[in-house]
Amino acid sequence: MENSLAKWISFFRAGNKGEDQKTHRQEKHHHRIGHKHGEGSAIDFYAYASKIRHWNPTFKVIFSLITLLLVILLNNPLVSLVVIISMAYLTVIKGGLPLGAYISVLMIPITFIILGTIAIGIDFSSLPMGQFNLFIGFGYVFTSADKLQEMAFLMLKVFGAISAMIMMTLSTPSSEIIGVLRKAHVPKLIIELMNLIYRYIFILLDVFNNMRNSADSRQGYGDFKTSCYTFGSVASNMLVVSLKKANAYYTAMEARGYEGDLIFLEEEKKMAVSHLIIGAAFIIFLILLRIMTPWEG
Amino acid sequence: MNKSMNIREKRFVAIAAAIALVFGLTPVANAMHIMEGYLPAGFCIAWGAICIPFLIAGYMSIRKTLKENPKTITLLAMAGAYVFVLSSLKIPSVTGSCSHMTGTGLGAILFGPTAVSILGIIVLIFQAILLAHGGLTTLGANTFSMAIAGPFVTYGIFVLCKKIKVNKHLGVFLAAAIGDLFTYCVTAFQLAMAYPSESGGVGVSVVKFLLVFAPTQLPLAIIEGILTVVIIIGLETYASSELAELGYLAGGVK
Repeated sequence: MENSLAKWISFFRAGNKGEDQKTHRQEKHHHRIGHKHGEGSAIDFYAYASKIRHWNPTFKVIFSLITLLLVILLNNPLVSLVVIISMAYLTVIKGGLPLGAYISVLMIPITFIILGTIAIGIDFSSLPMGQFNLFIGFGYVFTSADKLQEMAFLMLKVFGAISAMIMMTLSTPSSEIIGVLRKAHVPKLIIELMNLIYRYIFILLDVFNNMRNSADSRQGYGDFKTSCYTFGSVASNMLVVSLKKANAYYTAMEARGYEGDLIFLEEEKKMAVSHLIIGAAFIIFLILLRIMTPWEG
Repeated sequence: MNKSMNIREKRFVAIAAAIALVFGLTPVANAMHIMEGYLPAGFCIAWGAICIPFLIAGYMSIRKTLKENPKTITLLAMAGAYVFVLSSLKIPSVTGSCSHMTGTGLGAILFGPTAVSILGIIVLIFQAILLAHGGLTTLGANTFSMAIAGPFVTYGIFVLCKKIKVNKHLGVFLAAAIGDLFTYCVTAFQLAMAYPSESGGVGVSVVKFLLVFAPTQLPLAIIEGILTVVIIIGLETYASSELAELGYLAGGVK
């Protein structure tokens, strides 16, 4: 554990130069996050650093999935709002994640949400329709108060769903999530592939960082054309390196007695009864909230 | 000994390439991952169900490969990690906006589209967990557009271009770019099905989503095409023996 933490910290310090300029303001969190890239590693880091990491992973995964499903099935703005607030409470107050970092993770999909919601909210027609319309040469772009309300509710729903999911990902390391999938009887082959892919992702990121830094120090990202060429060369070289590594790792596995089964150490984490009770109460509360409010989202 | 290693290596390379293709597709569509919460429950289930036959076919083919050659497991995993990393890298951009490759096009060209479905769904899960791109409820829809539809189109165009003897690099460019565009169209269609327009139903709605996402997706498809060609040229230079084993130089079909 300590090892992987230390590794992460050094990984982030080694950091990506290109992003440095853009994410400089976030540097004070000292683990950068943002919708650039490398943020994957940041979420992984936060999961390991979370104060609620010792909670039973099966509970966290199932609780977050049920909440996620309720947000979508109940389709009610109040339910979404309650979920947004309570998940933020769990992640930030209980989990000890800095608020700024939490918000930057929430904002990762913001481009998609804005564009997608605009496309849902507006409509085209050859005749003026709706409460608000704009003539654009060949027809009208229009929307209505109902549509705007639908957009607002949809955004609440999306943020509710996202916060339910990232509550899980920001408090449960991937290896534990994979462990839960194993208990759910996902085929062994898939579980092994996931475990290996998860580990190799970080090895390849390391390789990429080295290649990128050395290309960068040689003006490899000087202008757009050079950048394209450098990116392509780094990517193709990375594939060659990864193939070589794959062979070496198989040899290493065989040397340690691999005979077709990959077994990983999983920490036993006790399920707390109080968590179960509070979780069940929360879910019942969400359903009751939906019944009490006559709203259609 | 050396010779047998080479054969194994070649097989691994081919598998890795296939995986990379699948994965590659996924990164291209990064801006187009349908987010968690966007699709109503019915659509989540329906798209998931559509993916199942492809996933089973992919699972069977991977299992068969592993039975014949257990060493492939690290190769497959590396290919998966490669596609993930490729998709998480910021690509050069003229506007300064942040965009990512899908990588699935490359994977499909190198390895063929069938095995890519399994690797693609794993990569999508990791993108949701580690990058907060896409989501768990929308996994089915995203898998269909990025790990199934896109790679199959890319592979089809690549093979077609080879048959009609278009310049190979032009063929790679067209395959990757059109595969990307197809992923984008499928995603727009998926969104439109869930949110049909009041005035014109699904048809008008598709146009809306295509228009709204076009400014980000059109340049991305072209850049992805160019980068895929650059990567292929690099591989031809440094890894021609592996590529030959994969069958890429011979015709892209293993």
